[in-house]
Amino acid sequence: MILAIETSCDETAAALIDDAGRLHANVVSSQAELHARFGGVVPEVASRRHLELICPVVQSALDEAKLTFDQLDRVAVTQGPGLIGALLVGISAAKAIAWGKGLPLVPVDHLLGHVAALYLEPVGLDPPFLCLLTSGGHTLLLDVQEHTTFRLLGTTLDDAAGEAFDKGARLLGLGYPGGAALDMLARKGDSGAYSFPVARLDGLDFSFSGLKTALLYAVRGLDSAELERRRADLAASYQHAIVRALVERTLQAAEKIGARQIAVAGGVAANSELRRALAGAALAPVELCTDNAAMIASAARYLKPLMPPGYLGLDAYASRQLA
Amino acid sequence: MLTLALDTATPRSSCALLEGEKLLGERETKAVSVLAAADALLAEAGFSPADLERIVCGTGPGSFTGIRIGLAAARGLALTLALPLAGVSTLNALREGAPGSLPVIDGSRKEIFTLIEGRPFVTRPEQLAPAPGTLCVGDGAVRYRALLEAAGAEVPPDASELHLVRARFHARLATDFGPAELVEPLYLRIPDAEKALER
Repeated sequence: MILAIETSCDETAAALIDDAGRLHANVVSSQAELHARFGGVVPEVASRRHLELICPVVQSALDEAKLTFDQLDRVAVTQGPGLIGALLVGISAAKAIAWGKGLPLVPVDHLLGHVAALYLEPVGLDPPFLCLLTSGGHTLLLDVQEHTTFRLLGTTLDDAAGEAFDKGARLLGLGYPGGAALDMLARKGDSGAYSFPVARLDGLDFSFSGLKTALLYAVRGLDSAELERRRADLAASYQHAIVRALVERTLQAAEKIGARQIAVAGGVAANSELRRALAGAALAPVELCTDNAAMIASAARYLKPLMPPGYLGLDAYASRQLA
Repeated sequence: MLTLALDTATPRSSCALLEGEKLLGERETKAVSVLAAADALLAEAGFSPADLERIVCGTGPGSFTGIRIGLAAARGLALTLALPLAGVSTLNALREGAPGSLPVIDGSRKEIFTLIEGRPFVTRPEQLAPAPGTLCVGDGAVRYRALLEAAGAEVPPDASELHLVRARFHARLATDFGPAELVEPLYLRIPDAEKALER
């Protein structure tokens, strides 16, 4: 039985998974409301809340699974990338739990975690596959060769796709985090109403910053009554441009490496238009796409654990290390 | 009563192991390695984590990240091993190590954390008005030595032990052992983003 902890951004999460990969608990305490008034995640505010929530979240995961600390075999924790102060709360608690019971610890990369969400039921995917990993912090095309190894095929040169959604939502007055609200509004709009540019880059990289600027100019060109009237069209057209960029690049990558299977991971995989556009792709349930600890537990099943006291000096890392 | 005490609020963090009031060992450490220090102390004394009976944690003020590293470890350990936890202010522990002194912790941003009439405050060093001859200790006292000495205070040499936060003093001051969640961090500052919002 593995207890996994995830605190890399603004969700405090704990999950329990057994040797067969079956989830026994998956608790996520989101701080989204806390950060809404700031229009984005504030690292210090997030870290403070993680400290308040970490023990209660771990305890409720154990309660949900009807397990005690004595029934654990190992502990897993997100080591990075993410907000350092936030990560360190989870790492410190995970070390204490593992060390207290003399258990091994598995440090897990957050991005590998997103990919490993696809190994869980109901998807139950096994490599090889091409993975579009798209979240608020990352937009990556990965050639996943084995459970824990992948090759980077493309990435964003500026904003992540999820960031583009959130920034677009803010421009349209949908608040923060606005990705889901933008998705809802877009359903009522005409995606062909506006033509937003999709950056044409060589290779398999992405760029979303021009798109955000185009939306800004479109919004500025409208008076408030007209903006109100065209908001759904703007949302639909903007979303369509992001999704088109993601889908085009993903299909190009699949062709390039001869991928037989495409999969989508990360928070943006919750977007309904993307899910429709890549209907043949493997998609994890929405609750496993956004940040959670079940995916960290899933990855930990394939990684080598560190024995005590070898992990007691473990530190967090902020930026991408894998691929 | 086997007690583990730790304080990670300052860059030179500390961990101590005590049997009753007897100090079995104490180590200076980086905050992120505080449990490595605890493990070494237990091993040297022939114990394992399961033998611990209570925990004492420094609650700050100091580095926000440092405070959280210590408290997350202490709370995690208390939860896992069902142990009582006590919190002790880093300022009080620093003063306990130098009786009669005024503890001054570097708060960065040209500010210090100190005790004013026994209560923790954040202030600018030039606002501090120590009575002539007051002994000032802590990394803040070292950093603002010139200012404090000009105001009539005494500051021990930079290398003096008196400037260091030592977890044995937390253990000595700890009285209120109870549920881990009741031990709160002592930040003394609200996040900048909240300050900006208030404006």
